[in-house]
Amino acid sequence: MNPERKALRFVVGAVLVLGFAWTSRAQTLKLPPHEKIVLKNGLTVLLMEKHGVPIVDIAVIVKSGSVADPAGEEGLASVTAGLLHKGTAKRSAQQFAADLDFIGAEFSADASADYTTISSEFLTKDVDKGVDLFSDAVLHPVFAQGEVEKLLAQEIDGIKAAKDEAQSVALNYYYGYLFNKHAYGRPVGGDELSLARIKRDAIAKFYETNYTPGNTILAVAGEFNAAQMRAKLEQALGGWKAKPSLLPALIGPTAVKGKKLLLVDKPDSTQTFFVFGNIGTAENDPDRVAIRVVNTIFGGRFTSELNEALRVESGLTYGAEAFFDSRKEPGAFAIYSFTKNESTTQAIDLALQVLAKLHKDGVTPEQLASAKAYLKGQFPPSIETSGQLARTIAAHEFYGLDDDEINQMEARIDAVTPAMAKQVIAKHFPEENLVFMLIGKASEIGPGVRKYATQQDSRKISEPGFWPGAK
Amino acid sequence: MNNVSVALRGLVLGTLLSTTAIAACAQSEAQQFPVATKTLKNGMKVLVQTDHSIPNVALYIFYRIGSRNEHPGTTGLSHFFEHMMFNGAKKYGPGDLDKAMEANGASNNAYTTQNVTVYQDWFPRSALNLIFDIEADRIQNLSFDAKKIASEREVVASERRTSVDANNGGILDEQLKATAFIAHPYQWPVVGWMSDIEHWTMDDLKHHFEMGYAPNNATMVVVGDVTPEEIFQLCEKYIEPIPQHAPPPPVTTVEPEQMGERRLIVHKQAELPLLMIGYHVPQTNSPDFYALNILRTVLVQGESSRMYQRLVDKDQIALEVTASQGPAFDPTLTIFAAQPKQGVDPQKCENAIYDELDKIKKTPISDVELEKAKNIRLVEFYHQMRTINGRGNTIGTYEVFFGDYHKLFDAATNYGAVTKEDVQRVAQKYFAANNRTVATLIPDNGEQGSAKQ
Repeated sequence: MNPERKALRFVVGAVLVLGFAWTSRAQTLKLPPHEKIVLKNGLTVLLMEKHGVPIVDIAVIVKSGSVADPAGEEGLASVTAGLLHKGTAKRSAQQFAADLDFIGAEFSADASADYTTISSEFLTKDVDKGVDLFSDAVLHPVFAQGEVEKLLAQEIDGIKAAKDEAQSVALNYYYGYLFNKHAYGRPVGGDELSLARIKRDAIAKFYETNYTPGNTILAVAGEFNAAQMRAKLEQALGGWKAKPSLLPALIGPTAVKGKKLLLVDKPDSTQTFFVFGNIGTAENDPDRVAIRVVNTIFGGRFTSELNEALRVESGLTYGAEAFFDSRKEPGAFAIYSFTKNESTTQAIDLALQVLAKLHKDGVTPEQLASAKAYLKGQFPPSIETSGQLARTIAAHEFYGLDDDEINQMEARIDAVTPAMAKQVIAKHFPEENLVFMLIGKASEIGPGVRKYATQQDSRKISEPGFWPGAK
Repeated sequence: MNNVSVALRGLVLGTLLSTTAIAACAQSEAQQFPVATKTLKNGMKVLVQTDHSIPNVALYIFYRIGSRNEHPGTTGLSHFFEHMMFNGAKKYGPGDLDKAMEANGASNNAYTTQNVTVYQDWFPRSALNLIFDIEADRIQNLSFDAKKIASEREVVASERRTSVDANNGGILDEQLKATAFIAHPYQWPVVGWMSDIEHWTMDDLKHHFEMGYAPNNATMVVVGDVTPEEIFQLCEKYIEPIPQHAPPPPVTTVEPEQMGERRLIVHKQAELPLLMIGYHVPQTNSPDFYALNILRTVLVQGESSRMYQRLVDKDQIALEVTASQGPAFDPTLTIFAAQPKQGVDPQKCENAIYDELDKIKKTPISDVELEKAKNIRLVEFYHQMRTINGRGNTIGTYEVFFGDYHKLFDAATNYGAVTKEDVQRVAQKYFAANNRTVATLIPDNGEQGSAKQ
C-alpha cells in the first residue's frame, strides 16, 4: 500500500465524460475526425483513427442497464454482462480466457444504471484475433448453467467483501435511500437477496431482449485504417440478427422534499462515512457546463470550498468532495466525506455551513477564473488514449450530444458568467431538502446525528441488501 | 559535472540484438520515445521526453527516501512529510501552492512507498514556469508551521483510519510485513503506526527534510509538450542553484534469512475471511526480477492463469487471487492474497496456492504459457507508454530502481531471455515453506462488541 496525498475516492462513471484532443497549437481543442456508420442490421458503428501507440480499443454501449432489471432481480444486467465471455458457441470459458490472455488482450463488460458497457483492447498486430474474440462474446454467449451458478455465488460474496470496506458501498446505500422506489435506486450489481433469485432463463431472456444491433453503439479507436476496420466489423457483426427493441421510456426521479437520514450501523467503525444531497441533473442538462464550473469551486478539486474547510483548515478528514453523477435522466448530487467517530457532527455541520455559504455568498470572480483555468488545463489528458476516445464518442452518441460537446467546450467554459453561476447554485444545489446516509458506529454517533432530519431510518451493515426500494 | 548526455538519442543500443519478435517490436517503439538526460551541477538528474500529442506536461520528482529510512518511534514520517511539502514554503505560503497551481490549470499529487517519495504535477505547458518556481521554493525553503503540522497530523490519522481500519486488506498487509521482517525497516507500515503519527515532533520533521530532500537525492522526469532544451534551461534557472548536501545514510540492516514458516491471525468483525502469504524475494535490480515477474504472470494474471483457474474457477474456493511485488531497493516480499468465499476455510485456499507452486517446482511451465506471459508483458509496456503520465512514472521508476532508464526499453529483451527453467528455478529458490509468512483474517462476529474486547 502506498499512501497518497489525495485519495482516489468514488470513481463515478459518467461524471466527467469529457475530454479534448489537441489538433493545433492554437487554443482550440478538437475531437479527432471520426465517422459514423449504421449497418443494415441497425448497429451504430463509430470509427476513429488514433495513431501513436499500436493499440485498438473497442467500446460498446448496449442501451440497457440496471434500469432494465425486473424488480426483485436487481443485478440481472450486471450478471448478464459478466457472463458474456464465460463460454460461447465455439469457446468454453477456459478457452476464451486462454485465447484472450495469449495475446495480452483485455475484455470487460459491466452494467451501469442507464446502459451496459463492453470494452476490449488489443495490439494492432492482433486485430483479427481481437475482433473475433470480441464478437464471439457479444454475439454468441451460451450462459451455461455451471458458469451462471459460479458467477452468482461470486457476486453474492463480492457484496459481502465490499461491505467490509464501508466507502465501497456508501453510494449503494445512498442511491437506494435517495431514489427509493425509482429504478435509479437499484443496486447496479444487485444485492445478496436479489442475486440469489436470478435464474439462467432470466439471463438468457435479458440477453435476447436487450443485446440487439439496433440497441447497440459500437465505437472503435486506435491505430488502424478506418476503411479496413469497417470491413472487418461488417464481416464480424453484419450477421447479428436485427430485432425490434421495445425499450420502455424511463421517467426521471423527482427531488426529495424535506429531510431524511439513514444510519447504517457498522459496529467496528473508527470513522463515519457520510454522503448527503438530493436529486441532481441529467447528462444533457443545458446548464451542465456552468454546473461543472461551480462544482469545481464547491467540491470538485483539492482547493474546493469543501476540502478547504473539512481537510485543509480543520484536519477533520483526509478528503471532502461534491459531485453530480449525471445520467440520462437526473442522477444524484452528493457531498461526501469521512471523519473519526468523535467529530462526526462537527464535520457534517461544517459541510452544511459550506453549502449554506455557497447559497448566501455565491462564488467570486477570482474563483470563477481559477475554476475555468483548472477545467481547461486538466481535460486534455482525459482523452489522451484510444480507450478514452472510444468511450467518449460512444457516450456522446448514447446521450445525444454532438462533437461541440468537446469542440466548443473551452468557449462554453469561458462563457460562464457570475450571473450564470448564481442561477446554477439556486437551481441545482440543494439547500433545505436533503437526504443523508451515514455508515458508522451507531452506538457512538447515533444520538448526535438525530438533529439532521425528522425522518430517521436505520439498518445494520450485516443485513442483506442496501435499501428495500422497489421491492 | 554538467553532462548533457547525447540529447534525443535513440534507445536501441544495438548491443542487445534479439531474434525475438517481441524485442524487435518494443525497441522500435523505444525509438519513437527518446529520452534526453542531463545531470545538474548539484547532482539532480533530469530526464525529458517530448510528446506534443496533447498540450500538457507530466512532471515527476522522485526522492530516494521512504519508510525504509525511518526508525521505530517515527514510523510514517516520510509519508507525513510528503503531506507537509504542500503546506507552505517561503514564496508560496500555506495553501498558496495548491491555489496557484489550480488557478493555472495544474493539479498535483504525491505518493510515498517504503523506498521513495514521489511528487507529481500535471499541467498545461503554459504553467511550466510556475511549476518550476513552486518546486524550487519547496525543495529549499519549506516552512514548518506548528498549526499546519497539528492539523495535517489529523488528516493523516484519517487517511490511516480509511486505508487500514476500514480495509481488511490494509490491516492484514500491515500485520504480514510486521511479521515477515524482524530486522529490516520494511517491517513497519508506510503510513506509520497510529501512536507514531500522534507523537513525532517538529525536530523529527526538520531532520527528515535535511536528510532526504537534497537535490542530489532526487531524479526529475518531465514528459509532454516540452523540449529538452527548455526544461534544462528552467532547471538551470530554478533548480541548479539549490546546494547539494549529504543524502540519507545508507540502510545497512539486512534481513536475516528466514529459517521457518511464520503464521499470524487477525480476529476482527468482518463478513469474509482473508488470506495473505508473503515470501522473501530479492530487490528490483536483481537478475531474477524478470523470471519472478514471468512466474507471477503465469500464476495469477488473467482468467487463464493457473491460480485463477484453480482457486476461482475449478475449486470455487476464492473470489480472487493476486500476487504483488512492488519496486524495492532492498530484498522484499512477493505477496499472494486470496479472498476466500463465504464458508470456505482459508486453509483450503492456502493449500491450493502451495499446490500450484509445487507443480511449477516439479514440472516447468509450458512453452505456450511462457509465450503468453511474454506477450502480456509486452502489452503492459504499451499501456505504460500510452500516456504522458504513465511514461513519467515508468521512466522514473526504471531510472531510480534499476539505476538506468534504458532498462525500460531493454525489458522486452530481458523478458525474452527468460526460459522455462529460469521460472522453475526461481519458484524452487524463493517459494519454499521456510521462507514464507502466512497471515489470516478470521471474522469474529460473536456477541456485540466482543471483537474489540
